[in-house]
Amino acid sequence: MITIYISKDLPLIIIENVDYVYPNGTVALKNINLNVHKGEMLGIMGKNGAGKTTLIRTLNGLIRPTSGDIYINNENTNSKSIAELSKNIGLIFQNPSHQLFANSVEDEINFSLKNLYLNKEELQIKTNEILKKFNLDKYRDRSPLNLSGGESKKLAIASIICRAPEILVFDEPTLGQDAREIESFIKLINTEKEKGKTIIIITHNIEFAFEFIPRTILMESGEIIADGPTQNVLNNNFLTERSSLILPQTRQLSLALQKIGFQDINKAVSKNDIIEYLINFLRNKTTSVQEE
Amino acid sequence: MSLEFLNAFKFMKKESFLHNLDPRAKLVLALTYTISALLFNQIIPLLIIFLSLIPLVIFGKILKQWIKSIRGLSFLVLFIIILNTLFLSLSFAIAMIFRICIMVSAFSIFFLTVDPNDLALSLISMKFPYEFAFSFSLAFRFVPTIANEAQNIIDAQQSRGYEMQKKGFINQIKNLFPLLIPLIICSIKRAFNVAEALESRAFGSKKERSYYYTIKFSLKDWIFTIYLILILIIFIFIKIQFSVMPDWLVWRLPV
Repeated sequence: MITIYISKDLPLIIIENVDYVYPNGTVALKNINLNVHKGEMLGIMGKNGAGKTTLIRTLNGLIRPTSGDIYINNENTNSKSIAELSKNIGLIFQNPSHQLFANSVEDEINFSLKNLYLNKEELQIKTNEILKKFNLDKYRDRSPLNLSGGESKKLAIASIICRAPEILVFDEPTLGQDAREIESFIKLINTEKEKGKTIIIITHNIEFAFEFIPRTILMESGEIIADGPTQNVLNNNFLTERSSLILPQTRQLSLALQKIGFQDINKAVSKNDIIEYLINFLRNKTTSVQEE
Repeated sequence: MSLEFLNAFKFMKKESFLHNLDPRAKLVLALTYTISALLFNQIIPLLIIFLSLIPLVIFGKILKQWIKSIRGLSFLVLFIIILNTLFLSLSFAIAMIFRICIMVSAFSIFFLTVDPNDLALSLISMKFPYEFAFSFSLAFRFVPTIANEAQNIIDAQQSRGYEMQKKGFINQIKNLFPLLIPLIICSIKRAFNVAEALESRAFGSKKERSYYYTIKFSLKDWIFTIYLILILIIFIFIKIQFSVMPDWLVWRLPV
């Protein structure tokens, strides 16, 4: 099930025939072709070791493809340094402890902003603004290594977002986060999306992807095996089984309801569709009981 | 910027003459070559010592990793050449390069062919306290882990716009400074985590320990060790008798 996206605009990210082989001979990416348009939100899913993280690390040059080309804003990334590419691409690592290294929370934000060559005053104003926005003000002088899991994830995100990159790439942002933290993350990506940012998210959280990510690619053994609207990709039993994913709870519920006679529920794919379907069903039932 | 060369010190299980030797024999090898390298500061003797290591590397099936470790010395080599040529002579600079290559190669052979677990066992058999032997083998095993940690920090800094790929020797050296503090902090934090993990698994609760595996110093280990000691004696003899040695052995560059 491969969907080809046709748009009059040139895609913001063009990945052409990209392969990557690790120095030890492990083939991590095989003939990857992918286009992502400006303002799009793309999910990347697949088993551990499928090549998801390797793929996103090729975007800002941390890994250079063994063959093939990547174009960002119509410019080949091969000719650019990681620092140059990072102006456009903000990569948020899976493990915040791999991303945080400064002596204090404030220094951590300062490090990102200093590389934008702001003057001292601008730097201070911007740092304060970011710390307040992410509710990290109270930890200003604390070592990033002494923050809780959720807070350090928040700081890692803040340290990238403060640079205002055009493309945001998250590696497993919901991993180890509680419901409230996931909620505030969703708010954050919605705000960034409204600003027109392009967002790429690697996730194993099928419920999260199902509800919030419009387009998803599935990867297996370094290849893209499916690309299309998330609800179509994740509702496909064959694909989810192949990628060791469990069907979303909404899909499981609709299948269970179908078994007991709710045949037309198959059209309801999202949580809201099912709620609406059940409300309508109960409303009709109540009306018919009242009529009787 | 890549610290992949540090993987050249990571043990890999292989079947070879060197891998099958007792770790103590390989420790003698590392020490023999290090002492020999320190005995001389002339090009030819150091070149001979360096070349004599190559067959060992080939028989040990570690040529690729050894080349990586030597390549990783390029910065240091440049530093040695500049400083020694400026303040002493080019001959001395080249000799010092061979000296550092011999010392790194000797320990690279040791690290690449000694299993950290066997190293702990051999230290214990040499009557070192268990805690010391364990800490030593643990530190040894952490070299590639620290290399990974350093690579993660480099990646994180570059991903936030820090220009690390600036060309030029001075820039490359400067680039290493922002890496040092976070790396030290992360390493200390990791050390505390490891200590807590060890204590939570009752490390050190029993004074008398028994071992599932034991290591033996076999005949081939004895032969190899005697061969190394003989080499060391020859080198010491050459050093003592250096004034009466043939001219080619004391050859220097005219500059």
